[in-house]
Amino acid sequence: MTDPQRTDGDDPRERSHDQLVAIAVTVTRTGGIAGLRRTWRAQPGTAESSHWIALIDGCPWDAADPARAIPPTGADRFVWHVDARCGDAAREAALADPEVQGPWRELIDAVRAAQKPAAPPKSAR
Amino acid sequence: MHAIVPPYLLARIAATREPTWARAAQAARATLEIPREYRPVRSRIRMSIEEPGTLVFEGAPAPDRTISDARQLEQLPGTRVRGEDDPPTGDIAVDEAFDGLGATFDFYWEAYQRSGIDGAGAPLLATVHYGRDYDNAFWNGERMVFGDGDGEVFVGFTGSLSVIAHELTHGVTEFEGGLVYQGQSGALNESLSDVFGALTEQHLLGQTAETASWLIGEGIFTDAVQGEALRSLKAPGTAYDDDVLGRDPQPAHMDDYVVTSDDNGGVHINSGIPNHAFYLAAQQLGGNAWERAGLIWYRTLTSGTVSPTADFRAFAQATVTAAEAEYGEESEEVDAVRTGWTGVGVLDDGSATN
Repeated sequence: MTDPQRTDGDDPRERSHDQLVAIAVTVTRTGGIAGLRRTWRAQPGTAESSHWIALIDGCPWDAADPARAIPPTGADRFVWHVDARCGDAAREAALADPEVQGPWRELIDAVRAAQKPAAPPKSAR
Repeated sequence: MHAIVPPYLLARIAATREPTWARAAQAARATLEIPREYRPVRSRIRMSIEEPGTLVFEGAPAPDRTISDARQLEQLPGTRVRGEDDPPTGDIAVDEAFDGLGATFDFYWEAYQRSGIDGAGAPLLATVHYGRDYDNAFWNGERMVFGDGDGEVFVGFTGSLSVIAHELTHGVTEFEGGLVYQGQSGALNESLSDVFGALTEQHLLGQTAETASWLIGEGIFTDAVQGEALRSLKAPGTAYDDDVLGRDPQPAHMDDYVVTSDDNGGVHINSGIPNHAFYLAAQQLGGNAWERAGLIWYRTLTSGTVSPTADFRAFAQATVTAAEAEYGEESEEVDAVRTGWTGVGVLDDGSATN
């Protein structure tokens, strides 16, 4: 994962390096009483990459390993899956709905907000 | 614990300073020191006139509902806005939740003589207006929680009695020992909530197995969604088919069981299989589905014999056993239950008797 500090550097070589790093974040939400699978995807442009790298690096990925057992909390809760790619680096997380707080909430909300304008008119919902 | 002297009377006797009552007060204090759970339980009296001109008083437990308002935050419980003795608030979600919990309480009492989630009249707690554009309703282990929907896919969740009863039933299932919310046991947990959710609605509307919609969540989609409900017990996989949401993914047979890591292992997907087994049994028996098919499922849920990790087959066997105990081994009810489970490929013909 790219160090977010570097994106703020004034060195032009650093900037051109970051412009080559393609960022894509995919959020998948399953479960809930409806059992619906919803997917949102953000592919921010280079102008926004430092902001997105900071959002991604702000999340505690190690504590959200998709392989871990997520303790059940009641029933009909959402289950979240987040996949972030920065160039060749990839990270994945699985989250129970009550865990979607703080930096996770910021990242997920940003992806959902980024998705909206891209959707065709009917699927604006 | 049941006692002939009600605890509030004991407390009053124990507190008395009247010298002539000293022994009684001491005895009352000693009785009160015996550990027990005391909680005032609400009840109501129903009066009816039986021919010829006989006035009948019937005591029945009453619900104890508290509705809270999360005011669009994702924080529980929120602000208490309506208790059992309060009049309607004028807030549609608050009043719909209140009425829906009442209808579900009445269903469980009238159909199975069960008083609420724990069978002992524990308070029914619900929170509405949870989160902003929140597209879900859930049970958090203590209370039922309802979002308002985003207005694009969902218009809210309190408008459907089957949804409210679905959530309350998660509480009943948990109290009765639970079914682990993963894979087949999780799908059984979901299916029980759908079955009793549908039955609550049928009971309120006086619908038979033939006339009922067998839908879960009718009316919670916006008009923009191409679909009538979340799920159908009668025809799993047909509740919606929408450009954006896709098609209802529920299977109705083990041949189409969905293996997935989504949704706790597809608990809302594969529940279509036990859902349809119930529908087939109820359809074969006809009449009010909560009376025979529903009672058999209720006895199974409350028998204490279903393991929290039960799979479809183990649960199916337990329903056959419950039907045999209730109606006899050669009964048409046992036959209908077997027909249900063989119809969805969970039991083989003739295998249900071990």
